[in-house]
Amino acid sequence: MEMQMIGRGRDAVAMLADEGSFQENHVGNAVMDAEFGPGAVVGTARIGGVAVTMIANDAEAVNPRFPVVYFGVIGMEEAYKMASAVYETIEADREKRPGEKRPLVLVVDTPGNAPGKVEEIFGMNKATGAYQLALAEARKCGHAVVAIVIGRAISGAFLCHGLQADRILALPKEYGTVIHVMPLSSISRITKMDIERLEELSQKSPVFASGVDFFHRLGGVEEIVSAPEKMAEAVSRHIAEIRCHKAKGEFEKTGPWSRGILGAERQGRTARPAVLARMQQEFSQVSGRYLR
Amino acid sequence: MRYSELQRKSFLEATARERAIGLTDEGSFTELAGPRDRMMSPHLPILGEAVSFDDGVVTGVGLVGEHPVFVISQEGKFIGGAVGEVHGAKMAGIFRLALTAYDHAAQEHPHDLERYRPAVVVSFETGGVRLHEANAGLLAHAEIMDLIQDTKGKVPVISLIGSKVGCFGGMGFVAAATDVILMSPQGRLGLTGPEVIEQEIGKEEFDASDKSLISRTTGGKHKYIMCDCNELVEDRIGAFRDALCGLLNRPYSSLCRCRRIGSYELVREQMALVRLAAQLNPSDSKDIWRYYGNAEPDLIPEMEVKEFLKTAHRRPREVE
Repeated sequence: MEMQMIGRGRDAVAMLADEGSFQENHVGNAVMDAEFGPGAVVGTARIGGVAVTMIANDAEAVNPRFPVVYFGVIGMEEAYKMASAVYETIEADREKRPGEKRPLVLVVDTPGNAPGKVEEIFGMNKATGAYQLALAEARKCGHAVVAIVIGRAISGAFLCHGLQADRILALPKEYGTVIHVMPLSSISRITKMDIERLEELSQKSPVFASGVDFFHRLGGVEEIVSAPEKMAEAVSRHIAEIRCHKAKGEFEKTGPWSRGILGAERQGRTARPAVLARMQQEFSQVSGRYLR
Repeated sequence: MRYSELQRKSFLEATARERAIGLTDEGSFTELAGPRDRMMSPHLPILGEAVSFDDGVVTGVGLVGEHPVFVISQEGKFIGGAVGEVHGAKMAGIFRLALTAYDHAAQEHPHDLERYRPAVVVSFETGGVRLHEANAGLLAHAEIMDLIQDTKGKVPVISLIGSKVGCFGGMGFVAAATDVILMSPQGRLGLTGPEVIEQEIGKEEFDASDKSLISRTTGGKHKYIMCDCNELVEDRIGAFRDALCGLLNRPYSSLCRCRRIGSYELVREQMALVRLAAQLNPSDSKDIWRYYGNAEPDLIPEMEVKEFLKTAHRRPREVE
């Protein structure tokens, strides 16, 4: 087995950053509260000489106030801390033009959003939603946002931390990278289908099974980066490309919408464009009744 | 069913199509990518599962006054309203059409936008991602969050939650990201559903067979007290429609003020709430109801909506 990065968010940050450049809790013009959201690592680093805001998970941290937050789980504090880092980044570069604003780099290794009673009483849904809206806003006002999956990118936690990026990169499965909603064993239990049969079917259809390669085919991952030591170069390259698009005002060439188009190109998601086209066509026939 | 009967019908009992028709002005609803188009999941048959001609979601356009209202109404009877590739694309398609309609209104009625502004209405009934096509469902959620951010400043997005399945999983944060949330007491809103909490943490954390615990933690009254739902209405299609019409008669800026997340200011307000969560560490929602000034929390679950609205004390908002 190759050297794994799972559970090593801080190591990945250090590997991506120019040597010694990572300043934890310094984001934009702010210094974040170091006690709040210990499962999330935020700060500023340089990658290939470019100053970026970095946001990662710390699998070794536990949150003393919220016991379900450990092993990289994103809890309420963590999600709001991540959202704050995004807003501080937006604030710091408010006067800069799209494409010139500082990039955000998301290092993804998280098994989930915090499940718990207190979380539901106070609304964990808001915390994870808040971070996603912040990332979408940053992307749409001209920051380049790159996510790199170094370990676990599981279900709602991947939506929270990763899937709002302009581009998503991932280490190959040989490094232990896991991207899925549920393992095949759980899908087998719920759908009451043999796991062997599901494994066989997953060769034909990438839509339900666990795996980086399947997400790549669906357009959910732009590029698989062959090894950890190649991550920094790949992130820099994608940042440069994204900045180029944003400087030209091409905001739909990157991000979730463009991954939908990529999913069709790679033959992973072909029903989606047919549905969108049909709805447009049907609406155009009746739009006179509704648009005055 | 006649339109007037539809208005009196229970929202909880209604089908997704009845809700869509009843929420918009009489006779104004046109379904888009409806069952006649047979846009079905290509993935379910591979797993030997039955398909639905609408893939578990009714999408279309209607009117409320002069406002074009783009409707998404999820059907819990089909795989729990779960989101697959087609279902997700239908949702995304509605947002795209609403944004186009906004551009039209902004061009044709620049001085009268309040009257002609389109809206998106989502009647949630879902547990989030459909496992049979989980990866495609997950990616659809990201697209919808992206599109919700596109609507900011343009098109109000209004969530209606009062159906049997509730609104959980990824759709729980999609709802949180919208501008306004309307619920009935029967509505349920959360991220991690009760069964999943019980399975992952244990029965002592959450007993998923305890219906009143589920209601106290995720139900409309609790979310109203927490200001996570903006208005609480009775369990009738007509009651949801009246509240919707009321909202669309208000200036757009007042709907934007209903948001709970979506800016740094709002995130700071939520962070203060999380600090309170750590400090109080409540074992039950009743603790927090009492904290906000509801002296007899035991009476709240059984209260009629009218009486509850008259007497309930809510979390004071810091951001106006």
